[in-house]
Amino acid sequence: MKNICALLILLLAVTSGFSQAGAAESPVNLTVWAMGNEGLLIRKMADRFEELNPQVKITTQAIPWTAAHGKLVTGVVGDMSPDVCQMGTTWMAEFQAMGALEPLDSYLQGATAVKIDDYFPAALTSTFFAGQRFGLPWYVDTRVFFYRSDIVAQAGYTSFPADWIELKALATAIMAANKEAGRPGFAFSLPTNDWQIFLMFFWQAGGQLFPDAENQPLLSHAPAIKTLEYLRSFFVEGLTSLTSGRDMDLLTAFDSGFFPMFIAGPWMVSTVETGKPELAGRWATAPMPKDARGASFIGGSNLAMFKSSKNKAWAWKFMEYMSTAESQVTWYELSKNLPSLRGAWEHRALSDNPHLKAFRQQLEEAIAPPAIPEWEQIADAVSEGMEPVMHGNLSAAEGVQKMSEKAAIILRKPTAAGVAGDLWKLALALAVGTLLLLAIFFRWLPREKDYISNRSFQPVALVFVLPALTLLTVFLFLPILASWFASFTNWDIYGISRPENVVWTGFDNYRHLAGDPVFWVSLRNSLLFALIGVPLNLMCSLFAALLLNREFIRFKALFRVGFFIPCITTMVAVAVIWRWLYNPEFGLLNLALGWLGLSPQNWLANQWLALPSLIIMAVWKGFGYNMIIFIAALQAIPEELYESADIDGASEPQQFWHITLPMLRETTAFVTIMTSIGFLQFFAEPYIMTGGGPLNQTMSVVLYMYNHGFKFYNLGYASSIAYVLFAIILVFTLVQGMIRKGLEGGRK
Amino acid sequence: MSAGVRVAKWKEWLFFAFLCLSLVFTLFPFIWMLSTSFKSPGEIFTQTPTFIPQQATLDNYRNLLQSANLGRSFLNSLVFATGMTILSVLCNAMAAYGFAKLSFPGREKIFALLLLTMMVPGQVTMMPVFLILKTLGFLNSFVGLIIPGIASVFGIFMLRQFMQAIPEEILEAARIDGCSEYRIFYSIMLPLCRPVLATLAIFSFIGAWNEFFWPLVIMLREDMQTLPVALANLNGQFNTDWGLLMAGSVLVVVPVILVFLLAQKHYIKGIAAGGVKG
Repeated sequence: MKNICALLILLLAVTSGFSQAGAAESPVNLTVWAMGNEGLLIRKMADRFEELNPQVKITTQAIPWTAAHGKLVTGVVGDMSPDVCQMGTTWMAEFQAMGALEPLDSYLQGATAVKIDDYFPAALTSTFFAGQRFGLPWYVDTRVFFYRSDIVAQAGYTSFPADWIELKALATAIMAANKEAGRPGFAFSLPTNDWQIFLMFFWQAGGQLFPDAENQPLLSHAPAIKTLEYLRSFFVEGLTSLTSGRDMDLLTAFDSGFFPMFIAGPWMVSTVETGKPELAGRWATAPMPKDARGASFIGGSNLAMFKSSKNKAWAWKFMEYMSTAESQVTWYELSKNLPSLRGAWEHRALSDNPHLKAFRQQLEEAIAPPAIPEWEQIADAVSEGMEPVMHGNLSAAEGVQKMSEKAAIILRKPTAAGVAGDLWKLALALAVGTLLLLAIFFRWLPREKDYISNRSFQPVALVFVLPALTLLTVFLFLPILASWFASFTNWDIYGISRPENVVWTGFDNYRHLAGDPVFWVSLRNSLLFALIGVPLNLMCSLFAALLLNREFIRFKALFRVGFFIPCITTMVAVAVIWRWLYNPEFGLLNLALGWLGLSPQNWLANQWLALPSLIIMAVWKGFGYNMIIFIAALQAIPEELYESADIDGASEPQQFWHITLPMLRETTAFVTIMTSIGFLQFFAEPYIMTGGGPLNQTMSVVLYMYNHGFKFYNLGYASSIAYVLFAIILVFTLVQGMIRKGLEGGRK
Repeated sequence: MSAGVRVAKWKEWLFFAFLCLSLVFTLFPFIWMLSTSFKSPGEIFTQTPTFIPQQATLDNYRNLLQSANLGRSFLNSLVFATGMTILSVLCNAMAAYGFAKLSFPGREKIFALLLLTMMVPGQVTMMPVFLILKTLGFLNSFVGLIIPGIASVFGIFMLRQFMQAIPEEILEAARIDGCSEYRIFYSIMLPLCRPVLATLAIFSFIGAWNEFFWPLVIMLREDMQTLPVALANLNGQFNTDWGLLMAGSVLVVVPVILVFLLAQKHYIKGIAAGGVKG
């Protein structure tokens, strides 16, 4: 006990020391956040600014891309936002809706350094809301075609096609050449569920989006149908495959000529240059082919000032400094991000690079998606309408219909079921209801069980359980209660930092959920995950633990670590290898199928195989956890039991059934419940491997909830999903318990 | 194996061979991760992954050490994970003992309530927990990082199951000898639970060491960043330096393996059995 106390004291001392360290005072302090590598590189720009303005001290912080959105939202909610921040163009509307951003109009008046007219027009779309300007465009990206010039030339084309018909002809010619030479491969890589791809072609076909208009569909129907039919024809005619090239595959496939064309942004220029230097001179970029007009998607980042900034004048000075053509050129040289100012493009660093010409040209015709807070959700709806058409499950017209219908639901203004006056009534009803539910639940538990072998109340027990119970009350029970209440509200991005916007909506979320087809699919998937995954996981882990418990086996420690390593190997590395195992063209699994004389399968993109593929991967990754729990439990079985069984002449299987299994009963109950909960809350594998696709066949309930909670910030809706899942898990667990009791009763 | 059961030698060898084969399968991605961390960019992406770098390079590790505040992040992670492990094993073991072996009114009901909470997906409570931490003034401190994770229902549940399997007679004997409950907990229960405490320690350490979301949103200053957050910064929005990323991943995994090796020494056969005898 003493050494634990000493450790505790030491630890507290260290932690408090840590939290007090640093923070030197200086006259003007600015905090600037930027994402990922840009957050590290912006330090160099900050250094230059500090040189020019010695009275200012800038603290830069890098925020990982993968979680930047969450970090920014919690920053706003927790009053920890920076003065100036990099902000993705599609996020602007949300943070503006949260009331987090400072309008810049008053700063722009009389500012000479910032030339609004010099920006690419589409880059300004995401900075303008309700007649006010928030944020300045920083860098831009747009999508163009990357192609292998040698392969395109072989197909008989001296220049890249300028319109849709020619693009189709080129693709057909490439496929013909492939067939003649007996080469594997396709004309180009075309994702099946990428809303950006859809929008680009849609705009080219003359389409328009109407996100604000009431009683009008989101998209102009005719061009949308034409776009879907055009894209679909590439799949129908075998010019592209239903598996999109992901990360590593795309680069190698480009190198080998498997995918001689793809659509991507400026980041792929440096990826191809550094990843495949030997390709130099054999690849090029070209603007997107036109149909009714030329168009592409524009993205990138703005710089925005937060309302909470305490040094707004200096924050603006820094933004001004970053928004000159010279600074943008310097930034290009540092980060290879493309300038948003036309003036910066005249610098030789940009104008001399042949691969950038297509981008410069495309930027003049690029279009930004509408800047509305619901955009992420609408984009999702677009992808969801696109995918079944590409797979041939829906006609183009049905796909467009689906997009419009979903968008209409998302854009529908919430109807407040309760007004502020009724608030306490609802809260009261809810509290009473919760208590009632708990009371019913506890009716089943007999009181006598509280007292072990009829001992009376031991006050000392409180000393043991209260520390944990206090912590759990504050950090578990209260938050759960809060989210339970939230499931009866419209708590969303508008209300996340403005509580006055949160309204009780009664059972609206649950009613909406009942009619949400994606939710039902995700529910079915989660149940399947659990029904198949749990027994598989338990068998593997128990089997491994039993084997490793045998005396004969040497190097036990090695095997334990080895089997546990999947649990601790970084998910991205696991994903790379498993994607390769499952790769339809050169994956190991299909190779093995080939040896057996079976036809290759498209594991992750096939509607029927994707789910089992993910389950196998999850079992592989997770069985080590249960294995070591079983190993720990096996240690506790007294050796004497086996010894006396040996003397009685019991065989090994008999010993397993009559000693090992009964002795593992408590542990098995624990492991079964935990693993069931884990699989019903299946999340990481589909999140990383498939994103829920194809066609939502691997969408799990928790992934769906996560999308609503942390991608769209519909926290109320996400909470209602959580509680429906909760109810299901509860039923599942109770049934499991009854089955076990029944079995045990039967045995007695 | 003692006299009664004789398993054929060839059968044991078969098991052994099977284990070796499975080992190759589980180590596969790990080895790729290790080898990629020594590769140059041109070598990483080939049609089939290669496992031995053609020209091994230390560049990735060199770049890694130069970028970001890595030493500091490593130290932060170590403090966070160690603190979390010690506090959570202690706190959960105490609670588990209370729930497994002591009598107090409402024991079963409170425990059932705890089990209920496990069925609520954790993601849904993140925002409320964040707001509570804000209200308590724990944002931007190690206290705020550690405190919400100390007590875990998973830990209490696992330890309780294990403790329940320990025969009541051992404790009864000690009570008759006049031992206080503290003494029984510390001198009898904890030693008997060594394997499962080691298991919980492994889980706690890994959980804290790999935790990404909380350190990210709670810590404001760069010098308080933990390792996973610092490493995630090396990723671009669209492109990834895989060599660098894998070098970072190796750096993250090595301490975890060390902790695992250290803790699994407690998986010694017959501890509990010895307890029964004594």
